[in-house]
Amino acid sequence: MLNRRKILHGMAAGAGAVMTAALDPRKAMAAPETGRTTKRVIFFMQNQGFDPKTCIPKGMTSSGSLANVTLPEPISPLESYKDRLHIINGIHGTHTTPSHSAFFGALGGYRGGDGVPPSGSTIDYELSKVLPETLMPHLCIGMDSIENMTTKPTVANLSASGAGQPIFMHSNPNHLYQMLYGGIATGEIRKQHEAKSNLLAQVEKLANAKGQSLPDHTAQRYSQFVQGFRDTNGLQDRLSKVSGHLRKFAPVVDERYTRPQFETDWHDALLELGISALTSGITNTLTIGSGRGEIFGAWKGIGVEKQGHDLGHIKQADNPIWIKIRQYNSRMLVKIMEALDSIPEGSGSMMDHTLIVYTSNNADSQHTSGANWPVMLLGNFDGAFKTGCFTQLDGKRPINALYTAILRAAGSSVDRFNMDEKLAKKFDRDSGPIKEILT
Amino acid sequence: MIRMPVRWFALFFLGCVPLVNADQYIPGQPLKKDFAKFAEPFLTRHCTACHGSDDPAGGLSLHDIGKVQDVNVGIWKSIWAQVTLREMPPQDANQPQVLERIQFSDWVVGELGRVLESKGGFLEPEDPNKANFLDHALLFGDLPAGVKLIPTSSPTRIWRVTREEHITRLNELINKEPDYDPAKPGLRTQGDVVPTNHGGELKMYFGTDRIIQWQGGTVAYATAVKSVPAILSSSRKHGLENYPAFYTVNSAEATQIISVANDVLRYMADGPLSIAKPYQITDDPNSIKDKMVGDLRGLPTSLVYSTQIRRPITPVFDLLELENPTEQHQRRAVEFMFEALTFRSPRLHESDAYLQLVKESVEKLGNKDGTILGLSAIFLDRDAVFRPELAEAGETDRYGRVLLQDWELGLAINHAFSYIKPDPVLREAIVSGNMRNREDVRREVERILGDATIRKPRILQFFRDYFDYDLGGYICKDSRALTSAGVAGGNAHYRAMFDATASTERLIEIIVAKDQQVLRELLTTDLAVATKADSVYLGKVNTPKERQKSIEAEKQYQQTLADKIAAELEAWKKANPGKEPPKPKKQPNRNINHNVTQVVIDGEKEYARVSRRSFGAGSMKPERTLTRTSNGQRLGLLTHPAWLVSHSDAMDNHAILRGRWIQERLIGGGIPDVPITVDAMLPDEPQNTLRERMRVTRESYCWNCHRKMDPLGLPFEMFNHAGLYRELELDQVVDTSGEIIDSGDPSLDGNVANAIELINKLANSERVEQVFIRHAFRFWMGRNETIHDGPVLQDAYSAYKENGGSMKEMLISLLTSDAFIYRQR
Repeated sequence: MLNRRKILHGMAAGAGAVMTAALDPRKAMAAPETGRTTKRVIFFMQNQGFDPKTCIPKGMTSSGSLANVTLPEPISPLESYKDRLHIINGIHGTHTTPSHSAFFGALGGYRGGDGVPPSGSTIDYELSKVLPETLMPHLCIGMDSIENMTTKPTVANLSASGAGQPIFMHSNPNHLYQMLYGGIATGEIRKQHEAKSNLLAQVEKLANAKGQSLPDHTAQRYSQFVQGFRDTNGLQDRLSKVSGHLRKFAPVVDERYTRPQFETDWHDALLELGISALTSGITNTLTIGSGRGEIFGAWKGIGVEKQGHDLGHIKQADNPIWIKIRQYNSRMLVKIMEALDSIPEGSGSMMDHTLIVYTSNNADSQHTSGANWPVMLLGNFDGAFKTGCFTQLDGKRPINALYTAILRAAGSSVDRFNMDEKLAKKFDRDSGPIKEILT
Repeated sequence: MIRMPVRWFALFFLGCVPLVNADQYIPGQPLKKDFAKFAEPFLTRHCTACHGSDDPAGGLSLHDIGKVQDVNVGIWKSIWAQVTLREMPPQDANQPQVLERIQFSDWVVGELGRVLESKGGFLEPEDPNKANFLDHALLFGDLPAGVKLIPTSSPTRIWRVTREEHITRLNELINKEPDYDPAKPGLRTQGDVVPTNHGGELKMYFGTDRIIQWQGGTVAYATAVKSVPAILSSSRKHGLENYPAFYTVNSAEATQIISVANDVLRYMADGPLSIAKPYQITDDPNSIKDKMVGDLRGLPTSLVYSTQIRRPITPVFDLLELENPTEQHQRRAVEFMFEALTFRSPRLHESDAYLQLVKESVEKLGNKDGTILGLSAIFLDRDAVFRPELAEAGETDRYGRVLLQDWELGLAINHAFSYIKPDPVLREAIVSGNMRNREDVRREVERILGDATIRKPRILQFFRDYFDYDLGGYICKDSRALTSAGVAGGNAHYRAMFDATASTERLIEIIVAKDQQVLRELLTTDLAVATKADSVYLGKVNTPKERQKSIEAEKQYQQTLADKIAAELEAWKKANPGKEPPKPKKQPNRNINHNVTQVVIDGEKEYARVSRRSFGAGSMKPERTLTRTSNGQRLGLLTHPAWLVSHSDAMDNHAILRGRWIQERLIGGGIPDVPITVDAMLPDEPQNTLRERMRVTRESYCWNCHRKMDPLGLPFEMFNHAGLYRELELDQVVDTSGEIIDSGDPSLDGNVANAIELINKLANSERVEQVFIRHAFRFWMGRNETIHDGPVLQDAYSAYKENGGSMKEMLISLLTSDAFIYRQR
């Protein structure tokens, strides 16, 4: 059965057409415009695994406070934010069969693999349905080598709106800027934006004309096709209504966009766009795929000459390459937090209502059984999650239980996420959220 | 998946003059009878004696249910299912007259449709999983007195292009597939569907036929190449999944289509240069060694493309080659793209509109970018994503029907077989006015069926939908459960299953090509198309004794080998005194699987249709062997691993699912939805067999439905959940007994010792053949059959039967029937 929410989220399952139907843009903007508070979630998925030694402070073997310990070097940029940090060790994901990457299984909590289509929706998509509506329920960005981002500007490996329905990541910041801010852009981006807008307007007109003669019993189905164009085209209207507001948040397009020296220029630009989509209230669910959920990726701009698969073969702990990558990630996390801190929301800031989930799409290492899947949470999500601490679990709760916890904190009353009772008997010693991490 | 209601049948009755006497009833028509005078007396006569106020059976009380309304929709749906399926009243109670039951069922459908109108309508009668709710006897037996049939037709409609059709259509624009080779009929060729890849994904690949070198292993290759997945969605656990009423195109899909359009058009223009740098295109990879430095694995720059152009060269290429193209060039490209994407030539106003779009885009973005953007709009034309059957031209007959004609009729025939545009002969028939009547249809259908070079992937799709043998690779298996079943765990199993899908399709093709007793052959063949891995999958699980014997034999072999090597060494030393003997040769690892008695895969060389190179050296291989299965252990497709694993779960067989398949697809019975109050879980008792754990379904509340499934699925316990034959389960002789209960054909009913006996019984049943015809009808008509389709089904069955079980004759009959060629406006 169709309902408005389903239609909206059906539309959200693609590269660009993620705008809601007839939303009042001012109502659909998040807190800064309206004074309301809203929760938001960011998933940051680094590829090649997340070695617990790169995040657990030395000597910490059991749960406890982070107040009197120093964070390991790879995540040292988070030292000043450790009161907001929650390091979790001992979640498992064996059932996702991570080996190189669990792909959709990382956020879906089910078996994934290279070339294996998603067998269900992923947690980020499900959260985007639970969180308050925005103009764009869910935005995914993916960071990779410059060649991959240029030739394959959209790929789908991590997020899905359902079985066989992947959600694409944006990897070319020029395209993403055009989609988000084309209406307030200038120069070449503006031209392309206008040409595409004109084209889509004509497509809508043609589609509409061809729907006039349809019999009633098919017209309703066809009208969803036409409505899709109306929604996409209506986006510009809606964005233009808040253009004054968006202008305050839109990043400046500079040479990093048009003539990147390194892939990290585009990584930074994509992050800025992602942050701006959050701070401007365009979306409240952001998924970042560093390495795009695959086993390659490059970070030459931060002095990592090796790239791709070899990065996964080297040990991460005390390795200068992985220290650089993880520190780069951590600085990105700091950028997100600083940006959200700077926007007042309710009696505090946006960050007070936000949860950042940092982990890998492949548990703890490149070749792994998934028996341990370290995770870092930043922010308390309106007080739902404990912060400033380390939690050691017994390895008997699956990643699905973490996602259940987030869903619960977001307002959904679920006991399990993507795990039926039969699988749970084998892979989960308990049901419901991971209680140890909740306040 | 989005399903929308089809109310065409009711519309039919509203739109035409009654042609029957007042005392004759036309099934399916809206019944203007009220609850108190019609439905309540029915319930009183047949239901409330058991389902009354005191201690009602099953806890369901109907004495005060009242008319259909929001609050009791669930109960009324259940009443509809139980009465329509003739589950209620129970067999030992007084039964309503057939006509009375039909009318009551029609009344409930009408009322539920009315109450649920604002919620999308009452969809169950249009669900193919409920198509068997229509009593088989009403289609193939004598009609009850008072029932009047009317000439059938299908509704006007638009069919959303299927994901297979869509991707195959796009693939035609960028990849040249080989011509049909009669010497190797199994090889993938032009017109065959783009197959799923090593991971079961339906993807279109760019330029992989020109890649002559790459860096790194299979995963690096897969990451470096450009590909796009299927965009249009469909359900996974499919059955018949291509009814036109199922799907639309949402805006997310539309956005992706336009993005893919850009990639396709750029590739049409530039080939690999749209992906690669110019230096990567060379026939001499050594000449660019200086550029291929460092670790490029997983990058598009790790690939070397040959200089040989393989993609189709089209008017789009010609247009973008020109510096100053004329309007004529632009129009030619527009017309070419329109026909390539919609399969028909554009009308003038259509080509004018798209030409204008191209011009406007060129003005803004310049020739190349503007042309590409402008042409991409055609990918989203209504007729590129939906196939219309609107019957806008043509006369209405006395029954309110219109015969399809010209492009609509031609494309309907084309779609019955093909995913690519009509072949030249069919196209000529369409444009020359020779596609306007039943004889025109017969001529083209017979011609297409007789020409092996015209590929017919839709026929294979029918069998895929009917048998559901292609799901094995998508079922998440527990690795330890796989190992204990005798096969390798991990990716090897999933890849074996995707290979098994391709193998099964080739076997089906071989049987369909012979066109003799097609269904019976599919159910009873001792042939199998196999890969090397199938020596295990088609094998037998060893008993502990056999396993021990295998271990002993291997020990003996190793001992003999060691003795032989030692003797040879001794002899060498004797012959070469004082010299250092050479290092012993490393013996190959024999990897004996002591858990399985493997079968020998031998026979004729065969080929199966597999994906383009998707995984580098690890891509699927087409080579197969047409072999025979072990005598007495297997019989037909239902005993092949592809089907068995497709009907299993993570840890075990799925006897209920298997039984349900037999009940619905062969016997033609219907299964009502599981009541929401039922906790459909078997106990987790690893010490007990599946049959023992299924004792919970034999409780009276469950058994009413489960008796239709469980005894039909349990005979397949002679195989384990990886599809291997077994004699023991948990070290006890496996119980493979089963029973056919109340099939509707008394000669079928009774006990069976195992799956082989069950299959043999079913394969020789007329009823089973008729049910097969019913499924074919649904697939090709895109809707459930109604009682008015009885004559069409009977004709199709006669054509099949009288021609020795000929699929071709059955198809000719169906595709020339009123149901196929007439539409109700």
